[in-house]
Amino acid sequence: MATVTFDSATRMYPKADRPAVDNLDLEIGDGEFLVLVGPSGCGKSTSLRMLAGLEEIDAGSIRIGDRDVSDAPPKDRDIAMVFQNYALYPHMTVEQNMGFALKIAGVAKDEIGRRVAEAAKILDLEDYLLRRPKALSGGQRQRVAMGRAIVRNPQVFLMDEPLSNLDAKLRVQTRTQIAALQRRLAVTTVYVTHDQVEAMTMGDRVAVLRDGVLQQCDTPGALYERPANTFVAGFIGSPAMNVVTGPAVDGGVRLAGAVLPVPREKLARAAAGTGRVTVGFRPESLETAPPGEGVPVVVNVVEQLGSDAFLYATLGADDDGDVLHTADVVVRTEPRTAAAVGETVHLRVREDCLHVFDPVTQLRVD
Amino acid sequence: MTIASDDPRVAAAAAPPPAPPPGPPVRRRRRLTRNRWGYAYVAPFFVLFACFSLYPFLYTAWISLHEVRLSDIDGAEFVGLGNYTALLQNEFFWNAARNTLTIGVLSTVPQLAMALGLAHLLNYKLRGRTFYRVAMLMPYATSIAAATLVFAQLFGHDYGLINTLLEAVGFDRVDWESGTWTSQFAISVIVTWRWTGYNALIYLAAMQAIPGDLYEAATLDGASRWQQFLHVTIPALKPTILFTIVVSTIGAVQLFGEPLLFSGNGMTSGGVSNQYQTLGLLMYDQGWTNFHLGQAAATAWAMFLIILVVVGGYALLARRRARAER
Repeated sequence: MATVTFDSATRMYPKADRPAVDNLDLEIGDGEFLVLVGPSGCGKSTSLRMLAGLEEIDAGSIRIGDRDVSDAPPKDRDIAMVFQNYALYPHMTVEQNMGFALKIAGVAKDEIGRRVAEAAKILDLEDYLLRRPKALSGGQRQRVAMGRAIVRNPQVFLMDEPLSNLDAKLRVQTRTQIAALQRRLAVTTVYVTHDQVEAMTMGDRVAVLRDGVLQQCDTPGALYERPANTFVAGFIGSPAMNVVTGPAVDGGVRLAGAVLPVPREKLARAAAGTGRVTVGFRPESLETAPPGEGVPVVVNVVEQLGSDAFLYATLGADDDGDVLHTADVVVRTEPRTAAAVGETVHLRVREDCLHVFDPVTQLRVD
Repeated sequence: MTIASDDPRVAAAAAPPPAPPPGPPVRRRRRLTRNRWGYAYVAPFFVLFACFSLYPFLYTAWISLHEVRLSDIDGAEFVGLGNYTALLQNEFFWNAARNTLTIGVLSTVPQLAMALGLAHLLNYKLRGRTFYRVAMLMPYATSIAAATLVFAQLFGHDYGLINTLLEAVGFDRVDWESGTWTSQFAISVIVTWRWTGYNALIYLAAMQAIPGDLYEAATLDGASRWQQFLHVTIPALKPTILFTIVVSTIGAVQLFGEPLLFSGNGMTSGGVSNQYQTLGLLMYDQGWTNFHLGQAAATAWAMFLIILVVVGGYALLARRRARAER
């Protein structure tokens, strides 16, 4: 068991014009499940591979426990990794795959057998120990890859999109199994995914990366409630938060001719330089208002999901000459009372559900 | 949406389509005519194959059952398996078989081992990798005659570079050509030089198909470079290695050009005491020096059977191992 610390860790690929991972500072607690999430190319896999020792660290350092492992070879870091494609040795049986690291380390045969049997029992792989990977289903291969990590009893688990090769249903199932297993083993885990639902459901904390820079690292609830900037606001939550910018007027922001109320101090600070303000509101925090109140939007598409309905609507350009681009807005409503396509709906944001951002720095204003 | 019973799809699903009438049994003839274009497209190859491979092959078998002189092919006299029994009692045949085996082992084993090592090195990201890859294939592109002549000079007794070097470091001169082991070693060096790069390229191609994350997983599992080579590379290359062994074996049994030219005087006897006469040389000797075509044909068929037995043995071994692994 150990903590993991990224201390201004930076990775610059040769011939690249900006670092793949830029000054990453991250503290991961003992036994914590931390998820690195972000769009492709954001540096999340690179960060994980730096921790694994598969990528060099060009500046800064990485510590596991109290030990600086920045220059340690992968085998001396006491970590185990689950790869996206599982990377199972094709010519070895499940048993041999899981016991390979122990065999290399010179562990006694009966000890290897005992630990492999133990892991196989946890992962429900006992009937497949003598099979080769090609005779296993995708889910079973995924479990073997997990088993290979568990058997080694490492200080840290690293997982690189381990669920991305499973079908949707199995992914949801395995997601909860992995999370439960991690709680049970209480081993510090760093988990990489591009799927924000996975990140939110599995992680104790979630670190959001973009272009190699850490945007925010917090509990799933806090990320949802208080996103640090517009990127995190748009990335976390599904469907994404609506983020629009409009001119600041007395009492709020003017959108499509109507005024959306914004608390006075926030408005003042956000609009200080430009006279404009960026606001964000989630589809689920919108409600319809009687005509004359609220912001009018025109419905383009209605998505019926049974439990909810989503309206995809357009926020019209401002008619006061101070024209802003039109914006798309997503609204969650009751499925029974959903508006029809072409209809104009008036919206207001539930109390305390409006996020205010600085239109220039894109940072949250509190 | 309502589900109406008059929906055409529902109606179609409700009423099962009439069972297709039992058709006439498909006859071979019909299948032949239906696929006639397919047969037409593959025909050119098989026509050429029949003319230039199958016919000579069968004709050789026919000749091997006759007493035939090169000067009078039509005056063949049927002798049954006489040529074969004569071959089995012929000490030259056993000598040549032994030579072929030793030269084959001396050249194939180091050749494939070196090819594997070279391929492994070239699989790393080296500067000027393409240059090395091309350079490796150069010996293969060199004519046997040119290469062998150069090597015959290198191994020469009086002025050969190798003997000069041996003498310079205090050893005696070696008479490479006249000794049994020395001559066979020298010929093996030529064969190895010529074919190592070719096999290395085949291995390299197979190595590049191994997914990189297997090596990363092995690194994390604590395997050293050598252990990765043993536990990841070699198992993945197994089918390729078998292929190169088969091809090299066939080449070794048919070895002809190198020992012929190594003597430097074009003698087909393979040295004064036949110390490096291979089966290929023996066959040539019988047919074109002594004009006994029947015997030469019998030797050719014996070589073919040896190849069949050896390659069949490999295949059996490989299949048994694969079954044991399953």
